[in-house]
Amino acid sequence: MPENSTPETETPLEASVETAEETPKVKKPRKTIGFYLSSAWIGFVLFLATFGPWLPGPAWDESFYDSLGVAPFHHSHILGTTMDGYDMWAGLQHGARISIFVSLIAVLIGGSIGSFVGITAAYFRGKYDLLITMIFNVMLSIPNLVLSLALLSVLAYSDEAHPVSLARRVTVLIVSLIIVIIPILGRIARGSALQWGSREFVLASKSMGSKNFFIIRKHILPNVAPAILAIGFLAVGSVIIVEGSLALLGIGIPGGASWGSMLANGRGNIEFSPHEVYLPALFIAFTVIAFNWFGDYVRVQLDKRESKI
Amino acid sequence: MAGSGKAHMRPEGDVVLEVNDLTVEFKLSKNQIVKAVSGVSFDLIRGETLAIVGESGCGKSTLGKAILQLPKPTSGSVNFLSKELTSLSKRELRDMRPAMQMIFQDPVSSLDPRLPVSEVLAEPLRVWKRGNEVEINAKIDELLLAANLDPAVVRDRRSYEFSGGQCQRISIARSLALDPTMIICDEPVSALDVSVQAQILNLLQDMKDRYGLTLIFISHDLAVVKAVSTRVMVMYLGKVCEVAPPEELYRNTKHHYTKALVGSVPIPDPDRPISGNLIQGEPPSPLNPPSGCRFRTRCPQASDLCAQEEPQLREVSVGHFVACHHPVAE
Repeated sequence: MPENSTPETETPLEASVETAEETPKVKKPRKTIGFYLSSAWIGFVLFLATFGPWLPGPAWDESFYDSLGVAPFHHSHILGTTMDGYDMWAGLQHGARISIFVSLIAVLIGGSIGSFVGITAAYFRGKYDLLITMIFNVMLSIPNLVLSLALLSVLAYSDEAHPVSLARRVTVLIVSLIIVIIPILGRIARGSALQWGSREFVLASKSMGSKNFFIIRKHILPNVAPAILAIGFLAVGSVIIVEGSLALLGIGIPGGASWGSMLANGRGNIEFSPHEVYLPALFIAFTVIAFNWFGDYVRVQLDKRESKI
Repeated sequence: MAGSGKAHMRPEGDVVLEVNDLTVEFKLSKNQIVKAVSGVSFDLIRGETLAIVGESGCGKSTLGKAILQLPKPTSGSVNFLSKELTSLSKRELRDMRPAMQMIFQDPVSSLDPRLPVSEVLAEPLRVWKRGNEVEINAKIDELLLAANLDPAVVRDRRSYEFSGGQCQRISIARSLALDPTMIICDEPVSALDVSVQAQILNLLQDMKDRYGLTLIFISHDLAVVKAVSTRVMVMYLGKVCEVAPPEELYRNTKHHYTKALVGSVPIPDPDRPISGNLIQGEPPSPLNPPSGCRFRTRCPQASDLCAQEEPQLREVSVGHFVACHHPVAE
């Protein structure tokens, strides 16, 4: 205590200590069974995607001519084979790799670009903001399937005369998904940054001489991040569906290399070997639900914090 | 009234801040311009507390921010410590920032909810590289103690764990971190309970005495202003109405707008009759302010002259200036 403080200025110290201690810490939201199930499934799928190639089992692109279209729980093919003799379990493993990584990379890169552009637009406003908002709106007005379809058929058109490598198709697919993600997350980031940027602590930081990008990094980004993160998880789910839809339309990744592609290949054999369609469909469904649930959990946690603030 | 003029300037004093013909306008659309502050001039002598009062929307907060060049004013000059802020480069302006700080109205919104108090206070020190981590930590404790907060208790807490009064103490501590010359307090107590208001005002007064600060105190509460200021400037719709020391202003009100403001301060006496001649209605839109005196549309004494000619500030008694063609008679 400073020596010159008067009795009346001492009271608030005591008051402050008391009230500060009475204030409860932010309570963590209750973790539901859905949260544990979705975390477990995301963990499982990520494990498959990362370590799939080193797990024992048949190769995903090898056709077993002696066991075409066997049902699941076969002694050497745990989830059966397709009508062409490809092992389902190996296919799903390899598909996880493509489907999950394509979506994660697309959301990560698209989300970063979108957030950066959205936050800077909200922070600097003016003509830059108008331009960015206009570009976002134009991008959002193009149906994402049509956009991806156009990009893939122009940049990675493949037929017998002009074969295109798998790597190129995957790259173009990721680029088209990034273009889809940028305005979605960009708008979320811009909206949230507009709200936080008008808070007085940003003005306070400016008035004490902080530089613009320091303020964005120190004050705006940490406050905007939870909102982006929550929507980012939902976006991973949507991107997996877009990837599946593209494959079903025949312009995704060919040859049963992703879940959507497996679905597309198995579509014609649904009467003879239904597991060929149901298994990848279930994997897609579970993964999308798990990411949505996880995103919801993040969002609820954010909302509870927000109501405290 | 609500006019312009510079009769109240004191060039001979130890002037910290001199504002001349400051104008702030915001463009809404092509031909809609909000004239938030129009030709305001005043000066600030070292150690003084200038109160700027007026009702909501009269441009007092905008004036405060324009002094700090956040954003830069549309025209006019702001001379702070003999530097013309409006013509400084970005870098030179940044170098001036530590000397002029601001305290905001909303105490909770002034602090980043994601940062603990120690980080909030460390920010200005880190931005200006004032010492190493050990020195910064010592400085934080010193600032918290000066603001009557217990460092051991509050350091690691975040803004949402505090009451409004405590947040405002932290804001005051932060504004003192860079040893400023002048602090602009933008309605620092209007969001607080009356009992807490008194604590914060006492704290501001203590800090002012201890650190030799010069304050601009923006408020709409004349009772608060009377307690803290050495000079009061009454604003109406972006213009200056009256400038006087507080006792003089209350005792010998000259401007009809100030009279209405003073009359609207509640007096806790049930037997006192309610004054009925207070002004009516809302202030006119700053998009299209009245000609001549901006207060004439609500003034009981308005004449044709008021519509034609804008009143200039003139001295009616020593240190008491009013911009009115028909000042209140004794």
